[in-house]
Amino acid sequence: MSAREPSSELRAIHELARLVRETVHPPTAAALDRGLSLLTARVALVRVRRPKVAYWSLLAVVAAACAWLGVQATSLFLGSPTEVPALVYHVEGGSLLAGGYLRDSGEDGVRLIFDDGTKVELLAGAHGRLRTVDKEGTRVVVDQGTASFDVARTKDRRWFVEAGPFSVAVKGTFFSVSWEPASELFELRLQHGRVIVSGPIAGGEIELRGGQRLVVNLPKAETLISETPFDAFAAPSSSVPALPSAALALSAPASSVLEKVPSAVVAAASAKTERKPSWSEYLAHGHWDRILAEAEERGIDTTLSTASSDELFALADAARYRRRSDLARDALLAQRRRFSGTARSLDAAFLLGRVEESHDRARALIWYDEYLTRAPTGSYAAEAWGRKVVLTNELKGREFAQPIAEEYLRRFPDGSYARAVRALCAEP
Amino acid sequence: MSKRLSPVSLSLVAGANRRDVSDVELAHGLAAGDAWAIGVAWYRFAPMVLTLAERSLGSRSDAEDLAQDVFLNVFRSKKTLREPEKLRSFIYSLAIFTLKTELRRRKVRGWLSFLTPEALVELSSRTVDVESRDLLRRFYALLDRLSPRDRLIFSLRELESMTVDEIAEVTGTSVSTVKRSLGHAVTRLSRWILADADLADVFDTRRWQR
Repeated sequence: MSAREPSSELRAIHELARLVRETVHPPTAAALDRGLSLLTARVALVRVRRPKVAYWSLLAVVAAACAWLGVQATSLFLGSPTEVPALVYHVEGGSLLAGGYLRDSGEDGVRLIFDDGTKVELLAGAHGRLRTVDKEGTRVVVDQGTASFDVARTKDRRWFVEAGPFSVAVKGTFFSVSWEPASELFELRLQHGRVIVSGPIAGGEIELRGGQRLVVNLPKAETLISETPFDAFAAPSSSVPALPSAALALSAPASSVLEKVPSAVVAAASAKTERKPSWSEYLAHGHWDRILAEAEERGIDTTLSTASSDELFALADAARYRRRSDLARDALLAQRRRFSGTARSLDAAFLLGRVEESHDRARALIWYDEYLTRAPTGSYAAEAWGRKVVLTNELKGREFAQPIAEEYLRRFPDGSYARAVRALCAEP
Repeated sequence: MSKRLSPVSLSLVAGANRRDVSDVELAHGLAAGDAWAIGVAWYRFAPMVLTLAERSLGSRSDAEDLAQDVFLNVFRSKKTLREPEKLRSFIYSLAIFTLKTELRRRKVRGWLSFLTPEALVELSSRTVDVESRDLLRRFYALLDRLSPRDRLIFSLRELESMTVDEIAEVTGTSVSTVKRSLGHAVTRLSRWILADADLADVFDTRRWQR
């Protein structure tokens, strides 16, 4: 190790620390308001419980071994409303990771089923967390995408759904919530029941009743409430909950307003808008340059931070086909960052390997390893194994490539690389 | 004979200007369980706690959770505050304690979990570019590998720019322990940065220009 190296690493540490300091900004007034309302509610609960806690603490000192049974027995006898047992739940279609993060195992989203009949579903591509489940209630966070909630009606439990700067207090309802952090668009569709939405909106709080839809566009400071047709719930918007063009026209720019818009007006006006082909459709027809041109028109940074998963994938493909490796790499990295945990994110790892092969083969090998670790039976697994054999042979030699080649043949005896791999294994 | 005013009436009359009260008055308000005191304490000290937590944990949502726990603890342990003029230090110490507990909890969860999630960086800035976000994600992934104590001390030194003496005071450890932890953290981070080709490359080739 040379004498200069340590200072280089220290400089990296200082630069990274500086980046963190510059990146983290003080909380906004809206965030503080939201935090205080939550804190006040929790403090109120502490106040209600305090005498009971003190009593049992004293009893625990006197008879520690009997305290727990004593609490249970007394609670049952008194029928205290604060001693509601915590909910039991299970996860379908995915798993619960550290920190409460929900990861889907396929492309059908992930569902949380509670024993009181409540169902929470994160639709495909959505990211969310189960933050707390306790006697006070349940808090679910929608970090990105759309989630639907069918909350059972109980008088003792409180449900909170948080999406970006918005907080939804729930009691016995069926609704869906969408939040797109990049474009700061929030949407709530309430089929029945009643919810209270708080956040950076006019008046700080909005109460919605069954059949209403709330859309908030934070960058444009637009808030819209409309009556939602019930068939709209059959297919909630899956990713970017953009305001309908008609609704945008009806809401006042640069000010937060509430507009009651009849759904028929919105639907009729929306129908008049000619539908533009999606980037996936452009890609299917080989119109790569149109995709690239539209991305540049929007601004590459904006596209990377706001485009949907479909669009990012189409952009990455178009960029690869036009040999714009940097753009392809950025689009795939954005795919992985913004839609991590999805099948597309895994595919992006493989495609990053393909992009890197023409620039940095060692880096490409790392991406293939990443893909095979995360998706050992994924749709690109055979291709990734094959490329790994080839690159390992080129970079490290046959000695290192041979075990990987044997593993490839064991897994994919009829794979497209089988002949080349057999030839490698047969070499003396 | 003068008429004695009830505390409730005083609270209502003075409610509009509560944000101007001193820390000592605020501490007395908290100790008395006054409703206004919770709000004033929150608006006065929550930004400090939220920023500390967000920088240390790399997540705004987790920082908000931690701030809730800190202020709930402030409310619960308000009677243990013996020096009202040190309310800010009291809350900061509780924040450090809660942060340390959270880092330990994360570490234990990491050991118990079969699947280690990718570092989830979710900071509050809206202006960070793609490259910076990627760097931050890598940086927090490295921080996740440090022990809770080393990470906390490193965060206080490098992210909060505290002196070694200040760190020793707020964490309740000796100066030598702080220095040892800091050295340990920096050594390990340096080694990991060297091993991370992308990170090392960014700084070595001076592509990182801000």
